[in-house]
Amino acid sequence: MKTILVVDDDRNLRRLYKSELEAEGYRILLAENGARAIDLVNDESPDLVVMDVRMPETDGLEAMARILRERSRTPVILNSAYSCYKDNFLTWAADGYIIKSADLVPLKEKIREVLCSRTAA
Amino acid sequence: MDAHGSSQLGSAAASSERRIAELTILYEVSCALQKTVDEEKALRIILAGVTAGRGLGFNRAFVLLADSNEEWLEGRLAVGPASPEDAARIWREMREKHQTLEELLNSIDHSMDQEDFDINEIAFRLRIRLSDRENVLLKVMHSHQACLAHDGWIGYLGSRIEKQFLEILGTGSFALAPLYLADRDLGLLLADNAITKVPIELANLRTLQIFAQAASAAIENTRLYEELAAKVILREKTNLTLRESQDHLLRSVRLSTIGKMAALLAHEIRTPLVSIGGFARKMLRSTPLEDPRREEMQIIVSEVTHLERLVDEVLSFSRIAHPEYKPVDIASLIQSVIIALQDEIEKNAVKPIIDIESSLPLVEVDESQLRQALLNLVTNALDAMTGGGTLTIKACRDGSCIEIALSDTGIGICPENWDRLFSPFFTTKVTGTGLGLAVVSQVIHNHRGSLRFDSIPNRGTTFYIRLALHQEDAPVAPVPANVETSQETRI
Repeated sequence: MKTILVVDDDRNLRRLYKSELEAEGYRILLAENGARAIDLVNDESPDLVVMDVRMPETDGLEAMARILRERSRTPVILNSAYSCYKDNFLTWAADGYIIKSADLVPLKEKIREVLCSRTAA
Repeated sequence: MDAHGSSQLGSAAASSERRIAELTILYEVSCALQKTVDEEKALRIILAGVTAGRGLGFNRAFVLLADSNEEWLEGRLAVGPASPEDAARIWREMREKHQTLEELLNSIDHSMDQEDFDINEIAFRLRIRLSDRENVLLKVMHSHQACLAHDGWIGYLGSRIEKQFLEILGTGSFALAPLYLADRDLGLLLADNAITKVPIELANLRTLQIFAQAASAAIENTRLYEELAAKVILREKTNLTLRESQDHLLRSVRLSTIGKMAALLAHEIRTPLVSIGGFARKMLRSTPLEDPRREEMQIIVSEVTHLERLVDEVLSFSRIAHPEYKPVDIASLIQSVIIALQDEIEKNAVKPIIDIESSLPLVEVDESQLRQALLNLVTNALDAMTGGGTLTIKACRDGSCIEIALSDTGIGICPENWDRLFSPFFTTKVTGTGLGLAVVSQVIHNHRGSLRFDSIPNRGTTFYIRLALHQEDAPVAPVPANVETSQETRI
């Protein structure tokens, strides 16, 4: 079973993603900010991180940068309410960029795609 | 009284009479001059005063002035017959008309006739290079003293006038009066009796000098007036440009503030929408098909979808406040819009026709903004052609602009909606947000281009976008952009 770490400062969204992604057959870890996410990546070595971008304290881009520096093989999908971060070159390092939507199909598809490509590699 | 005394008295009387006549002429000319601010008309009044039989009575008169580059002193205007034959005819006509000087002066508004044309042809050929320090006529001008030329000689200077000048003029005997102001020389007033060959009297020369002074003042006045008029126009233009720029700036600031607030709000709304819609979808999936609550859950899901789309559009609307211009290939841009909407085009059974001028130059636009505008227009066109149709996009160059015309064969726009078409949140569609055309309008406004449309109900609509090839050539946009009040509006 693949483990996915979902990072989001919104409690309701964490709950939604957890239940929806567990239904897809993944084991879900949750973090409410970037710093906690980095700890969990180090402790639990998840197969994938779904990372919100705009969060208090350590934001998603900073957290992703640290994860990639320390554990370069952990894939990260950025999941943001903002499209403007797409223009930030840091986001190019991510494996995917999803605009948050109530329709979770694009996110689920992207997760499958990234996990598949990592398994193949 | 003896014969000698009587003749003295007679000559004194004649002299006073002449002085009175001269003063009358001068008075009449001054009055006429006061009524004009046009240099050419002022010159014609002066020349008419110099040549009219009831005036100084010279046969012909010429004004020579420095050109605008101060390179040449050249004939600017002349009055009088070009030849003795002309003279006989003109003077006969004048006698028959019994024109007084005032009548003659007042009739000066009339355009040039043939005799004016002939004499002015002579005037225009009279040219002296101002840098020619040895030129005797320039010496006269600089001397500020009127003088007579006899057979091509200026007696008091002991110099001969250039032969070519005399040939053009057709005589070597004339009176010269410098035109000058306190700080600079303007030119020469030249008068002769080339037709009647009557010798020029010294008394006439003095009067000519007074005329020349009046002429100098009039020329200066008209020039000052023109300068002032030009400055006033420039100032008005500057004020207008300034006001337009200020309006543009205020609008940008307002829009950018509204844009930032809208963006902030839209993002804040998006997160709870994901929760609401996400959980509603989850509940819908886990609710048995026969459960009546499914319908209500479905309402939540579709309303959230609608709100999410609204948020997207508000965000794209707020993003367009700050365009970044780069040279863009319009053909590729249009092609990319068609590709992006390929699925919808096929679904609606619409036939796209793209007709782009082959040698179209690159156009300075904000590519993402213009793409958004074209996407919105094509989406609208597709929505108007649910039963199929033809979508035509044409682009061609028109001088320093490019015009893009986008036509559909759809349902058209009702005339009662024309006024509000580009207003934000105006829509006729069931699921529309009313921002599509507002975005188009805003984008074209940002590019200081123009947007207009033709629409015939049940026949179709064509939108025309006009953009400057280079942004620096684009006019300063007038204020209104979103709230249009007519079918055809510059924005």
